[in-house]
Amino acid sequence: MSTSSPSRFALVGREVARAVIALAIALLVALVVILATSADPAKAFSTLLTAPLSSNRTIGLWVDDVAKLTLTGLAFSLVFQAKQFSMGVQGQVYMGGLFAALVAMSPIGATPFAIPVAMAAAMCAGAVYGFMPGYAKARFGASEIVSSLMLNYIAILVVNYIIRAHLAPAGSGQLVTAKFPETAILPAIIPGTRFDLGIVIALAATVVVWFLLYRTNWGLKLRLVGHNAKFAEYSGIRSSFIMVSAMTLAGSFGGLLGAVFVQGRAFGNLAQNFDGNMAFEGILIAIVARNKPLAVPVVALAYGYLRQGAQLMGIRTDVPTEMISVVQAIIILLVASSFTLPGKKFIGRLMGRSQTATTAPEAAK
Amino acid sequence: MAPLLEAISIGKTYPGGTVANDGVNLTIQAGEVHAVVGENGAGKSTLMKILFGIEQHDRGELRLDGKPIRFANPREAIDNGIGMVFQHFSLVPSFSVYENVVLGSEPRNGIKFDRQKAIADVRALSEKFRLAVDPLPPVGQLPVGQQQRVEILKALYRDARILILDEPTAVLAPQEVEELFVAVRALVAQGRTVIFIAHKLPEVLEISDRITVMRAGKTVGSVNARDVTEDSLATMMVGREIALRVDRAGARGPLACEVKNLKIDAENGSTIAKDLSLKVHAGEILGLVGVEGNGQAELLETIAGLRPAADGVIALDGADLNDLSVLQRRQLGVASIPEDRIARGLATGASIAENLVATRLSDKRFVRNGLLDLKAIKANALALIEQFSVRAGGPNVAVGTLSGGNMQKIVVARELSEQPKLLLVNQPTRGVDLGATQFIWKSLTKARDGGAAVLLSSADLSELLALSDRLVVFYRGKIVAAFVNSDDLTAETLGTYMLGLNTQDPETMRAALQ
Amino acid sequence: MIELLMTVFSATFFVTVIRTTTPLLFATLGGLISDLSGALNVALEGMMLIAALTAVIVSVYAPWYVAVLSGISAGAMLGALMAFFHLRMKADIILVGFAVNILATGGTVFALAQATGGDKGTSINLPSKGVPSVDLSFLEAIPVIGRTLKSLLSGHSILSWLAVLLVFAVWYFLYRTPYGLWLRGVGEYPAAPEAAGIPVNKVRAWSLIASGALAGIGGAQLAMFNYIGFTRDMTAGRGFIALGAVLLGARHPVGAMLAALLFGVFEALAIVMPNLFNWIPGELIQTIPFAVTALALVLFSYRAQRALQRRNAAKA
Repeated sequence: MSTSSPSRFALVGREVARAVIALAIALLVALVVILATSADPAKAFSTLLTAPLSSNRTIGLWVDDVAKLTLTGLAFSLVFQAKQFSMGVQGQVYMGGLFAALVAMSPIGATPFAIPVAMAAAMCAGAVYGFMPGYAKARFGASEIVSSLMLNYIAILVVNYIIRAHLAPAGSGQLVTAKFPETAILPAIIPGTRFDLGIVIALAATVVVWFLLYRTNWGLKLRLVGHNAKFAEYSGIRSSFIMVSAMTLAGSFGGLLGAVFVQGRAFGNLAQNFDGNMAFEGILIAIVARNKPLAVPVVALAYGYLRQGAQLMGIRTDVPTEMISVVQAIIILLVASSFTLPGKKFIGRLMGRSQTATTAPEAAK
Repeated sequence: MAPLLEAISIGKTYPGGTVANDGVNLTIQAGEVHAVVGENGAGKSTLMKILFGIEQHDRGELRLDGKPIRFANPREAIDNGIGMVFQHFSLVPSFSVYENVVLGSEPRNGIKFDRQKAIADVRALSEKFRLAVDPLPPVGQLPVGQQQRVEILKALYRDARILILDEPTAVLAPQEVEELFVAVRALVAQGRTVIFIAHKLPEVLEISDRITVMRAGKTVGSVNARDVTEDSLATMMVGREIALRVDRAGARGPLACEVKNLKIDAENGSTIAKDLSLKVHAGEILGLVGVEGNGQAELLETIAGLRPAADGVIALDGADLNDLSVLQRRQLGVASIPEDRIARGLATGASIAENLVATRLSDKRFVRNGLLDLKAIKANALALIEQFSVRAGGPNVAVGTLSGGNMQKIVVARELSEQPKLLLVNQPTRGVDLGATQFIWKSLTKARDGGAAVLLSSADLSELLALSDRLVVFYRGKIVAAFVNSDDLTAETLGTYMLGLNTQDPETMRAALQ
Repeated sequence: MIELLMTVFSATFFVTVIRTTTPLLFATLGGLISDLSGALNVALEGMMLIAALTAVIVSVYAPWYVAVLSGISAGAMLGALMAFFHLRMKADIILVGFAVNILATGGTVFALAQATGGDKGTSINLPSKGVPSVDLSFLEAIPVIGRTLKSLLSGHSILSWLAVLLVFAVWYFLYRTPYGLWLRGVGEYPAAPEAAGIPVNKVRAWSLIASGALAGIGGAQLAMFNYIGFTRDMTAGRGFIALGAVLLGARHPVGAMLAALLFGVFEALAIVMPNLFNWIPGELIQTIPFAVTALALVLFSYRAQRALQRRNAAKA
């Protein structure tokens, strides 16, 4: 329900406060890591925090990340709302990317229909890939976590193989396809940057997911299944259908993300390992956004900034980009935790932990 | 000599602000059976949790052997010779009896778990205290009465001097209660002390030496069992004369639901119940009697469509329900109030409004073309909150924030907001206070008077006897007896059938089954 | 085909299977312990990866066994971290697990770059050590079967022998000691051990720590025997395959061993096949272990839930 009440604002405020606190703690740890490893920590840290705004080009990079993070965040939010832990967005991205590329490289790619057709193909491919673990769970009770992870690896290997053996220009020895025709590449909104149609698609997807979840019968059923599957069953809701359809729909958004990846101005072609593990960062976006679709782009905006800062830090300073994974992990851990305020209680908990650490060995005897 | 265990003006306020105990005094002498009685919500359970270290008191003092004491956790209580048997057993189903008994205090041989000694110890204990139970089978396969013995053995194995039994008779048939009392007397004879939590007064008077009465978080007083009567105790408990009276049905209507030769299988393929045949008419309440686990709950689930029928027919107004989904059955007028409201009856994280329409998402009033009519959903919630006097902040509040009684009202409101044709009810008043009980009973009889055929299952025989027009008794997955309710029918009579001690001749049964 | 069969039934193939199985078996045992205690440890992958890098870096400066021990401690510490956030901070175990995985994916690259002075791909320029293999050449002296015995049993990693030992140690622990009883009780019905005064959260925490330590040995074996040195993302899904192996092994140590062995065989096949069938693309051969895990998972779940399936069929 979207009808607001005072408690709703308080609730949102509390969530925002939690996220900001988590971010602050994570940045503090990042600062410590940078201090410990960098020859010029001040430059590294200021690059991390300010570089995305340094030029139109970097702003474009940031917005491009926001679009992609929004889509993966939406895909994870959908399955998490149904209390499913499908981790298959990465595989869906690869399948979506592959099919978008196939369309873009076909005769259709040179026509004005290239973008919509490629996206539709990518969404279908992603949907199929999202459906599989869902069906395996509903029909056979197979853990969707394990099966979706396996499908990720299979998708990456298969797509990499197809690129190497079939799609890359023959004899070039490259692990990337030729550039798509301009008609198949998302138009730039600010020319010369990566600020392209992707962000519009991502925002449209946000509204679609919000509408589906909060204004349709299907969405209410999905949320009820997520709250309590036994209750849903008792109420006459076919929870396995809802579960599978949620995973399928999330898959189509994963596939769409694949299309945005390969057709975006950043690539415009299909390359091996193109997602750079970004698909999994949707977990962070979804958790911080509490699986609320409207919060997803906001979180993506903030997190995308940090991510881009880290990329630029890796390029411009001696601190590798991958340092950011420390920040990611800390944010997930803290936001997923049920801490309230970082006051006495939080510190008390930290102290409590050291107590258990000292008394715990008794249990191991 | 100081009393064995003493609680002096104990107070406990839960984080939510609920004052569960407020100035509770309890004095337990060594070697007595001491009953603590009171209505649901009187604070008995909280007091026992404090005595056993699950909760800690905020105010007042506990004394053991005259010395002040405070238990941070159950381990400390156990180490001080206090044992507790919960109403919901704490047994690992796949573990054998002896493994459950010794769990946490296993006999060891080096680092090895000394199974032979454990088995021998459990055998010796069960002989000593006349709690016959085979140590070897997994507890999940034992009947409830035996599981309870395992729980008692568990406490005795830890050398409990004081044994707290929390509503031990609630899950037992009358004859099993007798066996339990034999064991309790054996315990006391061997120098142990028993604290007995209960609300069934005849049992309390039979077994206990002293009785402490609690009401609304306070102790009202302590009396000697032989100095009081049931009536005076009841007055102490509720502070007023109680009369939970129910009007029986008038003339019953036409046949509504018929179950014929129904067979129900468990998911692992074993048979739970078979040859179930019964009829319920519009405007009557049919009580399903039986020790829990004899197939009553499964029958209700099968009729609701939550379990497949392995064989047989379920018909409502002549239409076969077997191939219909839960939703289709609901559309035909089946409503159900499930046993566990939190596990099955509600989505506690969703709002009141959403919970109230969850069963009616194909209703044109709330959903059109796949889209929700939020206005209608909200209006529905406001109306039902008003009608069932649910105490809540508003329709968008999460159900999980409500009290137990109000949660149950949400379930009842949803299921009875439209007059059902067939109402399935399981344990409607478990864990709710007297006020809510009265309200729920009234709602059930109202639905009945509106023409619903009601199937009611309850562990509380007095509830069944109060509400039912006819009763059928389940034993080991079969209907073994049927009665038309009358003032002559007693819990004891039902009990002999519940335990399979007595069989009814087919003619009498057939007559009462019609 | 004949070539394949000859390869599969050769002693070298057997040795390869043991080599590929060993890290998986450690991870599977780790997954088993946390699973039986009631927590699905999805972080096995990240734990192995971090332990592998830790072991490699330590092995540059210290003897191999110190390196292995440091890998174990790294895994155990990650287990403790998970326990803290899951049990004390009430965070969902799967989210906590993925946080560890994300930390591992990026963190190992970061740490590798620090340790090697900028190389983000491999530790090739670090003089890291390996785990010694156990030489059983003396078996050759046994008449008739000596040669075969030697070629089958000699040359395995010390850790492979440890793995076999651990299967039985874990079994003994789970089914023959009081703590195993506690652990299984906590996993099945926590209210019972709680009422019996068993510190439930402590049992859970130690299970996660043990789980991490076992995954840690797996990581050490991977980077100090299967390969010498660390490569980015070298665990390549083994931790996730181990999760499947836990389920496939019917949540029993011996079953876990058999399941790990099954996946080990397929991984070994993926290693030897490119030499035999160079017309099959390498990438597709590499998908075999993942496809087998997914299929095995579905088949096993299908069998385990056949009753449920019957019920769905009855409804349809």
